[in-house]
Amino acid sequence: MEGFLIFSISILTLAFVYVILCLALNIECGVAGMWDLGIVSYFGVGAYSYAIIVAPEAASYQHYLFGFESNPIYGIALAIVLGGVSAYLIGLPSLRLRREYFLITTIAFSEVLRITFSNENWLTNGVAGIYNIKQPLKSFFTPDNYLILLFVIFLCISLIVYRMVNRLSFSNYGLSLKALRENEALAKTARIEPGKQYHSVYVFTGCLAGLSGALYVWLNTLIVPTQFTPNVTFFVWTALIIGGIGNNRGAFLGAIFFVILLETLSFLNLSAELALVVSSLRIALVGLALILILRYLPNGLLREKPTIIR
Amino acid sequence: MDIFIYGLVTGSILLICALGFSMTLKTEGFINVAHGQMLMLGAYFTLGLTFIGLPFIIAAILSVLLCGLTGLAFQRILFKPIKSNGILVQLFTSVGLAYLINGIVGAIAGKRMLSFDIPISRVVKVGDIYLVTPYEFMILGIVLATVIFLHIFLQYTIMGKHIRAVADNQDLAKIRGINPDRCSDLVWFIASSLAGLGGIFLGILGAVHLNMGWQQIVMILSVTVLGGLGSIYGVMLAGLLLGFAMEFGLLFVSSNYRTAIAFGVIILVLVIRPEGLQSLWQSKGRET
Repeated sequence: MEGFLIFSISILTLAFVYVILCLALNIECGVAGMWDLGIVSYFGVGAYSYAIIVAPEAASYQHYLFGFESNPIYGIALAIVLGGVSAYLIGLPSLRLRREYFLITTIAFSEVLRITFSNENWLTNGVAGIYNIKQPLKSFFTPDNYLILLFVIFLCISLIVYRMVNRLSFSNYGLSLKALRENEALAKTARIEPGKQYHSVYVFTGCLAGLSGALYVWLNTLIVPTQFTPNVTFFVWTALIIGGIGNNRGAFLGAIFFVILLETLSFLNLSAELALVVSSLRIALVGLALILILRYLPNGLLREKPTIIR
Repeated sequence: MDIFIYGLVTGSILLICALGFSMTLKTEGFINVAHGQMLMLGAYFTLGLTFIGLPFIIAAILSVLLCGLTGLAFQRILFKPIKSNGILVQLFTSVGLAYLINGIVGAIAGKRMLSFDIPISRVVKVGDIYLVTPYEFMILGIVLATVIFLHIFLQYTIMGKHIRAVADNQDLAKIRGINPDRCSDLVWFIASSLAGLGGIFLGILGAVHLNMGWQQIVMILSVTVLGGLGSIYGVMLAGLLLGFAMEFGLLFVSSNYRTAIAFGVIILVLVIRPEGLQSLWQSKGRET
């Protein structure tokens, strides 16, 4: 297959991982209006659960105790469950706080988790990470076909997630979240319980982020703690803001747009020295795009449409 | 005893880094994520200036000023036009700015760890107790001087009073004939120079690298929230408190968890006293 085609397919496949993360963030922060800067926590928890289930047993030079080499389906299921469970647990204390305080608590939790990932060698093999995680079904396909298969699978999963999130945000539940976002005191008078609603949407976000973490490891076949810095959180937020916060289609497009923006420059064939410069410049490019979009399209590419109930 | 001194040094650097951040938060009302990158910028400016042959002290002073001017330029070009668009827009413009600075510095200076070309210094020994290195001593002195200067500036000068007035209630300040734009300019200048200073300190004690801004901004956020959003004296206290917590915590857990201790402290404080801190925010921050 042509190099460029392979490149674009693999970039889009990666983009779908971000799409799921972005949709998860959108229902939590766009629809429910929470200020969460810790979504990378559940992304990380999901990724590590999948890795530990699927990874082969540790070699002599590695330190992790568990590598079950088990069915990836279990890995994905566990990633979703543990993503949700960790969101439930972290939500218990932090959801009592609002806005800036919620923001700082979630980012603090995500850092604590990352530091734990990089230090608990028995569980995660520390900063060295876990390598050679087998991709499911790989042996049945040629490498090129496998790329296409991955593309199709990830596309389907992200479309399903999109449908689900979209249905949810226009259901009664989603409307109650929007009511809380707009006016919490007024929403309370309509018998909407803020604590319960926030906690449930937080757990839902955790599950989705866990799922996307599992897919991320599936795609990358390796996992190291530095993949889970708050940078991921900021990236996803950037994608969501570019796309249009509160709008699910915007979240979908924003994530794809963002990944393309970030990765486009990396297919140029450059010398090692120049490649380093370009890899920095693309971060600058993302920053510039974010600044310009906020300046001239403060609602993002697609703005949230008001919900009309008849 | 040495733990106490290390805590003091760590804490006072945190304090300097967080002070400027807290000032912009108080007067402009948004979380300036680019502040972390201003730290990095200060360190890299100094590196660049010593590279072209200036002595370290002069380079440091010049780069603090340069940082201040850069911050001023950012305020004029980027933040002033979008002030009316709300906190989230401002917040994410500053995220974009952070990427922009980080990318440009990375493209020019590369991703290697660098350090300042200053002579290695010995720990000063008084009697039987090992105290600090001259550098750390100097840092403590400068931090103390800066804090006192800032206190006098904010409490007793006209401009300082204007800034506090704008921070408390912008509309009321306008009615009294105070120009909020001038105050914003000044706050950005001071905040960015403080960031540059903090970055240079971090570079003296550790290394200068591209990720120092991202690493620090999380700590800065924590210090600021712990101190009560935008309260400058609260931030001073919180910076020192976290500095001590990090150093004393090392007695109990391994040093890899050093920053985790700080975050643990933040989570604990916020969880134990959410209503206390929240009430602080509700009485002040609603109209921003």
